[in-house]
Amino acid sequence: MLKPLKIETKKDTFDVTVPGEKHEIGHLHPLTLVKREVEEIFQAMGFSVIDGPEIENEWYNFDALNIPKDHPARDMWDTFWLKNNQKFQITNNKLQTNSKFKSNPPGSPLRVQQNSKLLLRTHTSPVQIRYMEKHQPPFRIIVPGRIFRHEATDASHEINFYQVEGLMVGKDISAANFKAIIEEFLSRFFGKKVKARLRPSFFPFTEPSFEVDMTCLVCNEKGCSVCSKRCWVEIIGAGMVHPNVLKAGGINPKNWQGFAFGVGLDRLAMMKYKVDDIRLFYSGDSRFLKQF
Amino acid sequence: MLFSYNWLKEYVKLPKPENLAEVLTMHSFEVEQVKKVGRDHTLDIDVLSNRGHDCLSHWGVAREISAILDKDLEPLKRKRLKKEKGEIGLINLKIKCRKLVPRYSAIVVEGVKVGSSPKWLKEKIKSVGLRSINNIVDLTNYVMLEIGQPLHAFDYDKIQGHQMNLRESKKGERIVTLDDSSHTLDRGMLVIEDKNRLIDLVGIMGGKLTEIDSKTKNIVLQAGNFDRQTIYKAVKKLNHRTEASNVYSQGIDPNLTISTLERTYFLLTKLGGGKIVQIIDLYPKKVQPKKIKLDLSYVEKLLGIKISTKEIKNIFERLEFKYKGNIVEVPTFRLDVSSQEDLIEEIGRIYGYEKIPSTFPVVSLIPPKRNLEIFWENCVKDILKEAGFTEVYNYSFIGEKEVETFKEAIEMENPMSSEQKYLRPSLIPNMLKNLKDNFRYFDEIKIFETGKTFIKKQAGEAEEKKMLTGLIAQKKGKDEFYRLKGIVDLLMNKLGISNVWYDEHKPTPEQSKISIWQKGKSAEIKVDSQEVGFLGEISSKVLKEINVVVFDIDFEKLTKICSEEHEYQPISQYPAAVRDLAILVPLNIKVVDVLNEINTAGGVLVRDVDLFDIYEGEGIPQGKKNLAFHIVYQAEDKTLKSEEIDKIQNKIIKTLERSPDWEVRR
Repeated sequence: MLKPLKIETKKDTFDVTVPGEKHEIGHLHPLTLVKREVEEIFQAMGFSVIDGPEIENEWYNFDALNIPKDHPARDMWDTFWLKNNQKFQITNNKLQTNSKFKSNPPGSPLRVQQNSKLLLRTHTSPVQIRYMEKHQPPFRIIVPGRIFRHEATDASHEINFYQVEGLMVGKDISAANFKAIIEEFLSRFFGKKVKARLRPSFFPFTEPSFEVDMTCLVCNEKGCSVCSKRCWVEIIGAGMVHPNVLKAGGINPKNWQGFAFGVGLDRLAMMKYKVDDIRLFYSGDSRFLKQF
Repeated sequence: MLFSYNWLKEYVKLPKPENLAEVLTMHSFEVEQVKKVGRDHTLDIDVLSNRGHDCLSHWGVAREISAILDKDLEPLKRKRLKKEKGEIGLINLKIKCRKLVPRYSAIVVEGVKVGSSPKWLKEKIKSVGLRSINNIVDLTNYVMLEIGQPLHAFDYDKIQGHQMNLRESKKGERIVTLDDSSHTLDRGMLVIEDKNRLIDLVGIMGGKLTEIDSKTKNIVLQAGNFDRQTIYKAVKKLNHRTEASNVYSQGIDPNLTISTLERTYFLLTKLGGGKIVQIIDLYPKKVQPKKIKLDLSYVEKLLGIKISTKEIKNIFERLEFKYKGNIVEVPTFRLDVSSQEDLIEEIGRIYGYEKIPSTFPVVSLIPPKRNLEIFWENCVKDILKEAGFTEVYNYSFIGEKEVETFKEAIEMENPMSSEQKYLRPSLIPNMLKNLKDNFRYFDEIKIFETGKTFIKKQAGEAEEKKMLTGLIAQKKGKDEFYRLKGIVDLLMNKLGISNVWYDEHKPTPEQSKISIWQKGKSAEIKVDSQEVGFLGEISSKVLKEINVVVFDIDFEKLTKICSEEHEYQPISQYPAAVRDLAILVPLNIKVVDVLNEINTAGGVLVRDVDLFDIYEGEGIPQGKKNLAFHIVYQAEDKTLKSEEIDKIQNKIIKTLERSPDWEVRR
């Protein structure tokens, strides 16, 4: 830390070129800054911000999202499991009760959950179900939060990171609506018209599914470790909510439809601040954090 | 999967490799890489996991390309399977678990000539990164890469007793597969047994015992269709993935087996042949094309774009879907298409998602709900930032070493490492790590974090708790307790929380053995009668070298008592007067005791009491400390006269000196 500059002069004029006294204030984490910005943009478009638990059960994290047991689709999410012998319930989450499911016949969500293994949520999508259980459409929400993946870390992979989930359900919410909302979001977030493209993808909880790519802002299309030298960065996974997911949330897919998407907050922050290693966010390194 | 451009070109007219990659990426699957290899190009195509059954093969992708580009697809040359009279005895096949085998097809071929593969076959195999072994094995690999139906060739003469029993494994059975790895099986995996031994780990890999070698004369060529889940579970259990098991795990069209054998037989005759002496085809329940009703208005409603009926018809034609009335008949090779939404996806992606316009939704103006927790979290972070703290984000895990101070930590079943074996029961351990790391570059550290912590409750519940934790530490061991306490006061004040007080933290002997807090140097932060957190120095058992003070606040409790209400206090029109008061008290007397006495004796006219000095040591009697206060006097309705103030000040002094060892210094 620098010592404050001591200035002792007797002249009756100021040397205006002497550096001003240093005043230090604290710093918010770049992910906090990005999260706030994302929340602000979506709130301006009428989206409510919702939370959910980080420890989830298998039912909310997989089954309810149309990701069947013993199916390779589940391998898309490398999962952290809580040790088996610790039999417990999740407490302290406000969205726990399934108000729409009054009876619990065998096979009903509540019953299935009771035998459901605990894990660290691999996406914020379980909150879709938790929210639908308690709310009737139309609605639009975003769910920012920490998620977990059991995979080796490198410059673009971490074991915990942040995602913002979006969900909009109404009578006739379409893919074209999604495109408008997401383009508006990206353009506002990056402060300019950003190039984006929709292409086919597969997620069990959406049908049709899209991958949204945008031009890499880190390398100016020259190729870097973030975009794997391809200049298009996958930034959003999205799609039209699968009827089975609506059903799992207690909503009749005959009457309602909508879109859902998931954006990596870390990715957004990396692009916005041109950070080329995701691990810096969790390093606690003040030399990095004090730049924000 | 790697695809050869030249190979694809045999079935469909292709644009240039880079353009092909673009077309596939925008309509089907992302192409990760295009690489020039000799006179060919390889494309690394990331076939989506719901399309493995029809697109993990060259002909499958060619069919996909022909649909996207509306180009003709070259049919595969096949040879009808015809049984001939042979010398060798028939295979006696028994399937004990019919439910797990939707279809089993195989041919027995007599008189094959095993040798090295012809040049064209070697090149094909090499172009996608495989090694050429011999013509028979290469052929099965080639057909799998071409059509996607896994094949397996057994050496007929190594099958004992001409018996093949397809059944579920028993626990503890063992098999050595073609790659020389040995597997001990669980119950319920699919295997084939000859008279005496296991010869195939079905759907995953063939057994070593019946491997094709240079002396092989007769073969059994197997094209099976097996229960998806059974294969998938076995792969997981054995941790043994193969190309074949990847396909089987996702499921595959049972109608593929015979046509694949026909194709294989056609190619086999080109490789020196042999004659078919037995054809096996067990297919009890023929799978029929699915019929799905399509509501055209739903297409427009879901995609948000009007696509003409003519266009939709054309797209279905290109995909080989039959479209009549409002019914779409989906060929059996498209296992993934089973609902109206699936059909709409097909229409959309072939038509081109890039053509979907951006249209803002028309909705009722419902303002978003205010999320108070986020509101207060933002407030807290801003206050601490303004107070000079830097926000950190740490991992949600801690290691074996850190966990010693926390009995209730939740253990992971599959941790990444022993340093990340437990879910963090507190934000403190990782923040102490930040401290050590940052002392290399900074002399003073002021950091905070908010985040979820995880605790195992006694009743066997996992509790998730959001915490707010901050710390100050100086490299040169200065005590920062009072500074941090001031920060907590500031924080509470800004959050509209009054009635904050600090109670000495008195852990039970049991607790203090493992406590993270230094004995005698920590406080409970209380609001009214509720404890909301702790403030104190970290125990020297946890952190030896550095004096660090920490506040650790239950964030959820905090947000419940925060208040946005704020009322202005009228400013008195009359001047305030300040009198100083110094008092000697025994060392064990707490400041709050003295303050209470002053306030009680002083009454309403004492506006404020400020402690401005604490001193012990030279010039002060042994066992005593000197406390010095500014007392501010002010009335709402008049200017206080000097005598009035003296009267109260004297009353305060008298009250204080009622305590025997207290002495006001004059």
